[in-house]
Amino acid sequence: MTLLSVKNLAVTFDTEAGRVEAVRGVSFDLGRERLGIVGESGSGKTMTGRAVLRLIRPPGKITADEMLFDGVDLMRIPESQMRALRGPRIAMVMQDPKYSLNPVMRVGAQLMEGLRQRDRVSKSAARIKAIEALVAVQIRDPARVMDAYPHELSGGMGQRVMIAMMLIPNPDLLIADEPTSALDVTVQAEVLAILDDLVKTRGMGLIFISHDLRLVARFCDRVLVMYKGKIVEELAAKDLLAAKHPYTQGLLNCLPRIGGNREPLPGLDRNAAWAQ
Amino acid sequence: MLIEVDTLSVTYRSHGRDVRAVEDVSLTVDARESFGLVGESGSGKSTILRAICGLAPISSGAIRINGTALPTPRGRAFSRRVQMVFQDPYASLHPRHTVDRTLSEPLAIHGMSGTDQRIMQALTDVGLPTSFRFRYPHQLSGGQRQRVAIARALMLEPEILLLDEPTSALDASVQAETLNLLSRLRAERGLTFLMVSHDLAVIDHMCDRILVMQNGRAVEELSREALATAAMKTDYARSLFAASADRMLQT
Repeated sequence: MTLLSVKNLAVTFDTEAGRVEAVRGVSFDLGRERLGIVGESGSGKTMTGRAVLRLIRPPGKITADEMLFDGVDLMRIPESQMRALRGPRIAMVMQDPKYSLNPVMRVGAQLMEGLRQRDRVSKSAARIKAIEALVAVQIRDPARVMDAYPHELSGGMGQRVMIAMMLIPNPDLLIADEPTSALDVTVQAEVLAILDDLVKTRGMGLIFISHDLRLVARFCDRVLVMYKGKIVEELAAKDLLAAKHPYTQGLLNCLPRIGGNREPLPGLDRNAAWAQ
Repeated sequence: MLIEVDTLSVTYRSHGRDVRAVEDVSLTVDARESFGLVGESGSGKSTILRAICGLAPISSGAIRINGTALPTPRGRAFSRRVQMVFQDPYASLHPRHTVDRTLSEPLAIHGMSGTDQRIMQALTDVGLPTSFRFRYPHQLSGGQRQRVAIARALMLEPEILLLDEPTSALDASVQAETLNLLSRLRAERGLTFLMVSHDLAVIDHMCDRILVMQNGRAVEELSREALATAAMKTDYARSLFAASADRMLQT
């Protein structure tokens, strides 16, 4: 069952210095599964995620033959309809809680804002729902977190608050942009377990954007490897070690290994021909 | 031994109560050795580096270099011997200073001559084109900035480098280049490293001995061999090892 089908997506920026093609001809299908998008910075992975939500500011332009989400072509609907989809149907968790949460608003107020404004829920009911969401992402002391300001939370807590916020309206598709790269390994494992549970129990589709190939290999079902705005290889996560493309192999080999030899780590080969 | 941290405790006062960031941690690092500190955030690993530099309040214990206790304030002789590279190259370089100014400042403070030639040499040593000399940090990528930060730390030709998560803000491929650069510089100049990271694979690649920390306390010291063969004694060190991203490929 396909939840999202993207055909020939491109994101271009017309700047003074010329045209920049951030995403070029990307096509993929997503079911109710975990899809990983991997690449270096500048490979277009974040832009691909944002383009699905049509969250690209001018001078950036999105073009696609088709971007079907649950039967609706996201390229053709008006902005008002798109706004109604963002949040309740498709949600995005941004990279850095430091910059994505409102620093002068209590966490509880931020969690309840959507419920109060969009769903017209009473204050007390919104508070109960918000606390439930915090419990769902395994925050141990939800009452304290509700009254805290973002700067009073650790990075891991902030990241979980953002996930909780995105999950309140129960979206069908969650786009997570490096949701764990600011976190420690042990907290990272917890956050991944939460996301994993949501995919399994709620039947949510997940696009997981990361530069960490090992993480994606362990966590996702399928992986798209992007280089200079193009998908250079698509493969099942369990086959990652058997990757054929030299760029994917390079991304894997440049990581240090526990118990590995201490030779200099191989640098990443970048061949312009791969991006043709 | 070159660096000696002896039952060090660091206590901050926050909202009227004491926060013990580091409690009774001891470690020693030999000359030309590379020593790693691992643990979660809040485990006190970076605080130890900051305490060595005089940037954290030491409540008890001592830090000695070559057997001599460090003076407070640390003074110029200390900066000649010990330099630090910080985690986030976006925050640790002055945004309105050119690379040239960042690199020449330590030379001016210490009255060292041959500024021009030293800067060109430093850029070459860290693998940056000399044409970058008059650029500002915002004109550089993250990896290039971290190279500038490493060049800055090496301007005074120190013997000890304190490395606080030097690659955690970088992509996998840029991390590889930066780690290779650090290994090469250590071999060429006989440097001693005290390195902090939450990534066990990075620490394993760079260090001879490792101290695992949790909640401000030392949990277990491991040799590189013990780590590679998973011969850790404490549950916490084992759980850190099991959660390490590197293990994920093998399962």
